[in-house]
Amino acid sequence: MTLAAGLLLVLVFGLLVYDWVTLRAKNRRVLVVETAAFVAGAFFIAFPSRATELANLVGIGRGVDFFLYPTVIWLVRESLLTRRRRLEDAERITQLARAVAIAEARLVGEPGQSAGAPPHSSGPSASITT
Amino acid sequence: MTARVAILMPAYDERVALGPTLASLREAARDRYVVTVFVVDDGSEPPLQIDADLPTRAFRVVLARHPINLGQGAALETARQLALARGDVDAYVTMDSDGQHGAADALRLAERVLSGADVVFGDRFAGASNVPRLRSVVLRAARLFEWAVTGLRLADAHNGLRAFSRRALEQIPIRQNGMAHATEIKQRIRRATPLVVTEVPVSVRYTKESLAKGQRSLGVFGIVHDLAIQYIFGEGEA
Repeated sequence: MTLAAGLLLVLVFGLLVYDWVTLRAKNRRVLVVETAAFVAGAFFIAFPSRATELANLVGIGRGVDFFLYPTVIWLVRESLLTRRRRLEDAERITQLARAVAIAEARLVGEPGQSAGAPPHSSGPSASITT
Repeated sequence: MTARVAILMPAYDERVALGPTLASLREAARDRYVVTVFVVDDGSEPPLQIDADLPTRAFRVVLARHPINLGQGAALETARQLALARGDVDAYVTMDSDGQHGAADALRLAERVLSGADVVFGDRFAGASNVPRLRSVVLRAARLFEWAVTGLRLADAHNGLRAFSRRALEQIPIRQNGMAHATEIKQRIRRATPLVVTEVPVSVRYTKESLAKGQRSLGVFGIVHDLAIQYIFGEGEA
């Protein structure tokens, strides 16, 4: 086994142990999934020739590439979905903050006078009572 | 009848300039307009305060506050919704709170709406503005970009001083929270039912404060980024 493979295995199992210790109480199922993925990964780190055999089977030269290609595809998709999600979240936060602002809007100089939607108004639309 | 004008004014940490900006509006409007200013404090910390003695019968100030900082576009949209919820307005003006837009100019733009225009943009290059050299170059390049993106050819690409008729403002919801809202507004004007669009010379005053706090010329990259993100990932009409 090469030094790099040894270090990678230490990293993989170190992370697994750490996650089991810190997350066990709340996230059991995630840990099971993680463990399955990491153990499979560890196997191919320890026996890279097995990965290469697998790759050759489908016409890919190196074992690493066999895993790399799908990973890149997955990451690209994931990053696009995350971007989109972020935009949606930002829009929701904006709507929430705006609703608060409109509800609490007031006419300056008339402390008793609310400028937001009066309590009896039915719709969510803002109206100013003056 | 006295014309009723709504001013949409985003404000972020504008502690020093906001008061004088409002006061100058009140003076400029005196006896000629009934003005309601919709100040949206975009999450300033501590919250912006407005002198309770400032408003008069013909000069009202509505203060709303975002609990968190969202950006100038978001603040404008909040002001837009507040102002549209009031029925009794003849012209709507968007204006910066930092003092770089003149009160008289703002009302001159409103006047154009009262005489039939739907959208009036301020043009700082035709007016008496002390536009810094670099800013001027960036703005002139931006004009070409905006023309390409929005199909609307204006002399001044990103001027925050604008006036709208109600018919126009209703068709221009703003979804860009950041500075890209200026481009978005033009895109929406282009897609709206035919509107009468015009430009009026205004003077923009660049002070040390407004330059220190305001947009950097590098901000164009942020604007292009925001527009691209909204174009690619945004839903519906955007």
